[in-house]
Amino acid sequence: MSVVNFEFRNEVLKHNASLSYCYQCSTCSGGCPVALLTDGKYNPRKIIEEAILGFQEKLVDEQDPNVWLCSTCQTCVELCPQNVELTEIFSLIKNRCFENGNYPEGFFSQGQAIIENGVAIPYSNAILNRRKKLGLPDVKTASVDEIRKLLKLTQFENNIKKRGG
Amino acid sequence: MGYDLFLGCVIPARLPFLEASSRKVFEKLGIELKDVDGFSCCPDPTGIEQIDHKTWLTLGARNLSLSRNSNGGIVSFCSGCVETLKGVNYFLNKDKKTKEEVNKDLKKIGGSYDGNTNVKHFAQVLYENLDKIRENITHPLDGFKVAVHYGCHYLRPSEYIQWDDPFEPKTIDEIVRVLGAESIDYELKLECCGNPVEKSDKELSLLMIKNKLQSIQDSGANCVALVCPACYQQFDFNQRELSKEEGIDFDIPVFYLSELVALALGIDRGDLGLNFHRIKPKSLFEIVHFA
Ligand code: SF4
Ligand code: SF4
Repeated sequence: MSVVNFEFRNEVLKHNASLSYCYQCSTCSGGCPVALLTDGKYNPRKIIEEAILGFQEKLVDEQDPNVWLCSTCQTCVELCPQNVELTEIFSLIKNRCFENGNYPEGFFSQGQAIIENGVAIPYSNAILNRRKKLGLPDVKTASVDEIRKLLKLTQFENNIKKRGG
Repeated sequence: MGYDLFLGCVIPARLPFLEASSRKVFEKLGIELKDVDGFSCCPDPTGIEQIDHKTWLTLGARNLSLSRNSNGGIVSFCSGCVETLKGVNYFLNKDKKTKEEVNKDLKKIGGSYDGNTNVKHFAQVLYENLDKIRENITHPLDGFKVAVHYGCHYLRPSEYIQWDDPFEPKTIDEIVRVLGAESIDYELKLECCGNPVEKSDKELSLLMIKNKLQSIQDSGANCVALVCPACYQQFDFNQRELSKEEGIDFDIPVFYLSELVALALGIDRGDLGLNFHRIKPKSLFEIVHFA
């Protein structure tokens, strides 16, 4: 039998106190497009329940339900009668998955691109030519050094490096 | 009147033709867009926020600090950028301690942010200038039966998007009607396009867009209008993907709202880069006799 993990529960609460308002009515799951298409295998109410109980292993290690399947459509947030900010709570859980190196590849490459370029998509020569043909001006994006400095301060670069970035 | 233009990443570096039509429409309406040096990724609310909330807040605050409300604040062509920039404002102003922490980091690069920069979506600006659009229409979009796709982040969370209605939106429908087109209702109008789950489950993402396109086809609409580059890629690029992978040909052209406005305002079609669309709008133009 699982016991409540107060440490993780408090961590989620600290990130977003609205967790404590949930009374498990399941309105969120009823309106969730992903729950509908996965036959309830993905279930936002269940994720919130596990967060209330502090079930870190379920949420971060086993990813059951898999929090990465949330499309961030914000329907549940809008529908929740208790104003639980579900997607903010999910983002804390996903952040913990990230720190443990447990996340889909696409997120890693976006993170790496920002470390290297300051932007998520670098400007290829083909695009630069296309921009010229369309009569668009040159874009002066952020200094990579400046962005890198910030990414070191927030530990982002370290977390990406752990995955061999 | 004008704004600081926040371009973000996807539009300028992957879909620059959407930037072209948007800039041309603003120019035609006499709304100045100022290019600002030094913006980074917004960062992506469906990407970076999900892996590192603190980084999302910090880079977002840095971007916001580069704009001045005296310049009109920020306008963006992308719903994701708008969601991030409004969201960062919301969270920084909700929690003083977070704002202090973020500012501690910003200070180390010589910056600071007060939490007050105004942010608008380009469709909001168009809606606020509806009369000007109406006066300047030279080519009404007769015969265009438009399925409007609002996209999630244009509307929700309403707590900080604070624009239109999260479940009964009307702004884009109204713009489309002013252009002379018909807005066609369809069952899955408010459903998510599925783009953000592509990174986690490609199959699920394709199923979501397939269902949407089916609903649009069933409604009798002959094109789509939308306002977000992530939705655009999902509707246009992945419509092609569905055709290749599953042999399903919806053949529904997908327009950025700025493209429809540009067409109605008589902006030269050759300047819009419509040839970069995967689903070519040419046959629609022929069907509705749009010259
Ligand atoms: S809708 Fe809100 S209160 Fe109801 S189960 Fe979901 S999170 Fe809890
Ligand atoms: S935000 Fe995520 S959990 Fe909420 S309804 Fe949308 S897909 Fe479901």
